[in-house]
Amino acid sequence: MPQSIFDDSEGMLAMLRDSVATLASRQPGAASVRQKRAAGADMDKVLWTAMAQAGWTGILIPEDLGGAGLSLTEQAVVSEALGRALISEPVATGAVFASILLARADASVERGRLVAGLVDGSLILAPAWKDGIGRSVSARAADGGYMLSGEKRHVDLAVSATDFLVVAALDGGFGLFSVPAKGVGLSVETAHGVDGAAIGTVRFDQCWLPQAALLARASSEAELLDAAITSARVALAAELAGIASRAVEITIDYTKARVQFGKPIASFQVVQHRLVDMWSDAEFACAAVVNAVETLADGDAQAGRMAVLAAKARAGDAAVSICRRAVHLHGAMGFTDECDIGLYLKRAISLNATLGQPEDLRLEFVNLERAA
Amino acid sequence: MTSATDWNALADEAFREAFRDLVERRLPSELRFIRKQRPLFDEVSVWYHALAEEGWLAPVWPVEHGGMGLTPAKHMIYVEEWGRLGCPRIPDHGLGLIGPLLLEHGTDEQKAYYLPRILTGEHVWCQGYSEPNSGSDLASLRTAAVRDGDAFVVNGQKIWTTLAHCANWIFALVRTSRDEKVRQKGITVLLIDMTTPGVRVRPIANLRGETDFCEVFFDDVRVPVANVVGQIDQGWDVAKSVLGHERIFLGATTRPEIAIERLEKLARARGAFEDPAFRSRYARHRLDLYDLGSAFERFAKVLRDGGELGADVSMLKIFTTELYQRITEETLTLAGEDARYFDDIEAGNDQVDAMNLFLDSRAPAIFGGSNEIQKNILAKAVLRLPS
Repeated sequence: MPQSIFDDSEGMLAMLRDSVATLASRQPGAASVRQKRAAGADMDKVLWTAMAQAGWTGILIPEDLGGAGLSLTEQAVVSEALGRALISEPVATGAVFASILLARADASVERGRLVAGLVDGSLILAPAWKDGIGRSVSARAADGGYMLSGEKRHVDLAVSATDFLVVAALDGGFGLFSVPAKGVGLSVETAHGVDGAAIGTVRFDQCWLPQAALLARASSEAELLDAAITSARVALAAELAGIASRAVEITIDYTKARVQFGKPIASFQVVQHRLVDMWSDAEFACAAVVNAVETLADGDAQAGRMAVLAAKARAGDAAVSICRRAVHLHGAMGFTDECDIGLYLKRAISLNATLGQPEDLRLEFVNLERAA
Repeated sequence: MTSATDWNALADEAFREAFRDLVERRLPSELRFIRKQRPLFDEVSVWYHALAEEGWLAPVWPVEHGGMGLTPAKHMIYVEEWGRLGCPRIPDHGLGLIGPLLLEHGTDEQKAYYLPRILTGEHVWCQGYSEPNSGSDLASLRTAAVRDGDAFVVNGQKIWTTLAHCANWIFALVRTSRDEKVRQKGITVLLIDMTTPGVRVRPIANLRGETDFCEVFFDDVRVPVANVVGQIDQGWDVAKSVLGHERIFLGATTRPEIAIERLEKLARARGAFEDPAFRSRYARHRLDLYDLGSAFERFAKVLRDGGELGADVSMLKIFTTELYQRITEETLTLAGEDARYFDDIEAGNDQVDAMNLFLDSRAPAIFGGSNEIQKNILAKAVLRLPS
C-alpha cells in the first residue's frame, strides 16, 4: 500500500517494480533467507546472478563504463521492491557502494576489470571500509607495490567475494585498493548475521599488492567514501521503506484473517489504531526516500546530504518499529521461526544498523545544519 | 490590480511578489505577527477590508462571485505567504466554509444575497456544529428545528462555536426529523441571523486565558424556511462536502515550525545545545519536522498536478498536531523552574512564550476531528479494516 512515489510518465519505474516482483515470485525471498541461514552462507548465488542479468548490479554505473547509467531514482525503486520481497542480497553494499567507489576511481585496466565483473555478475566485490578497533588497515610502499596490514569488520560478501575493495591509510592520506580474495596474507572469519547472512571480518597480514591495485587516493577517508556512503544510504533507506510497507500489509492481512471473540481482530479499535500508526510511519518513510532522491538531484550538496541522513533515519526507525509491532500483532505465531514476519524484523534490524543508526544520523543532520 | 487579473497565469514567484507587495502596502505593521490566534472582527477589520478592496479576500471563490479563482497550487502559495509574512488570522468562516457551501449547495437567491455581504464584512459568520453531547459523535446532535408555517422554530444549544461573540450569522446543523436507523438523516443546514430574538451567546475562556469560542443558545428562535441550504433532512451530506483540497492545511508544518523556533531560541540562550541529552531530543524533533515537510510535499504535489486528495491526507494532521505538542513539552522541560510562569519567560535578550504555546498545542489534536476519530476514518477508508 505505501510506496515511494516518483514521476513515472514513461512507466519505466513500474516496469522495474514488476520485474523485481516477477523474480520474487520465482525465487521467494523468505525461502532464500532460510537456505542462506542454514548453509551459513553470505549470499544466494542463484539470486545474485539473476539480479546481475537483470542489470540491477550496475544501475548506477555510467554507460561509458558498461553500466546502465541510471539514477538513484531507479536504484531506490529497485531497492524498495527488493525490501518488499525480502530478497536479502547485499545490494546496498555489494552493488551500490561498490559501483560508486569504482565510478569515482581513476580509469585503469584494473578498474575496468572490476566494473565489468560487477555488471555481469562474474565478480563478487566486497567493499571493506570499517576498521577493526585498534587494528586499522594501513598500506606502505614495498617491492614496487604496497603491503597491507590490519583488519576490516562488518564486511558483506566476505566469503563469496572474488575481490575486496579496501580503504587503507597511505602516506598521510588514504588509498582505495583492489585486493584479490585469494591473495597471500588475507584471511576471513565469519559470524552469524541476525538476518541470516554471514558477516565477515577480513584480516590483512603483510598482504602484498602490485602497483595497479591502487584504484584511487585522497587526502581524507571522507573524500574517498562519502559519495559511496550517501548512495548506499539511499538504497538502504529505500529497502527499509519497502520492508516497512510490506510488513504493514502482511499484518493487515493477518489481523483480518485472525478471528477471536467471534470477530476478526482487525475490527477491534485498539488494533485498528495501531495499524493506522504503522501505516502512517511507512508512508513517512516512503516520503523521506523520495525527498532524499529529489534533493540530491537538485544539486545542493549540503541539502542533499541532510536529506539522505533524514531518510535513512526515518526509514530505519519506521522499518524496525513497524516490524516489532507487526510481530506483536501476530501474537504467539509472530514469535515462531516459521512465520515470515520475524524475518522482516531481523532484516530491518540489520539494514538499520548498516551505515549509521538513526540516532547517529539525526545528530549528524543537526551538526550539519547548525554548522551552516 | 483588479479582480479580473488571471492570477493562475502568473508565475509562482510573481504571484508571491504580488502578495508581498499587497501586505507591504495595506497591512498595518502593528497587525503583523500578533500573538492572538483568533482576533475579533473589529481588531482586524482594516486588513479584512483592504483585502476585499484589492480583490484578495476570497482566494478560492470563483471570479464571478468576487473571488480570485485560485488553483489549489496557487492557493497553497497564498496560505504559505500569509503565514510567512505574519498576517493575522481574520474571521474566515464566511470565506472558508459558508461561502463554498453556498456555492455548491445554495440557491441563486442565497448566493446573490449572502456572498457579497461576506466580502463587505457586513455578515460575519460562525459555525454551529458541536453540541454539549455531540462532539466526535456529531450525528447525535439534538438542537431541534420544528416547522411552523414558513419558518422553523429552533431550540437547543451549540458549543465550541469559534468567534460566535463577534459573528452576526451562524450556519447551524439542526435536527428536523429523526430516523431510528440512520442518525445522519433528519439533519438540516440552517442559516440563522444571530440578531433574531432568542439567540444568546456566552463566551468560554480557554486554557490560554483567551475567549476564542462560545456557547450559543437558541430559545424559540424563528428562522425562515428559505434559510435552509440544500434539502431539508439532507444536511449531513451538505455539511460533509465542504472541505476539499483545504484539508491539506490541517497538516501544514506551521505550528511545529513556530514551536521549534521558540525551543531553539531558549536552547541557545541557556546553552542547551552543548548538552548531549538535549541535543539528542532536539534532533528527534528537528527531524520529525523535516520529514513532515517531505510528507506534506507528497500531497502538495498531488494538488499541483491537478489531482484530488484522498482520505490518507489526514495522516499529516495527526503527525503535525502531535509534533506540535512534543516540541512545546520539550520547551517547558528546558524552561526548568521557569515553567511555573504563565507569562513569557526570558531567553537572553528576548522572550519566549513557552507556556502560551504549550497550552495552545492542546487544541489542534482535538479540533477538526480529534486524532482518534481521524484514525477511525483512516482504518476504514484507507486500510479497509473490518468493523
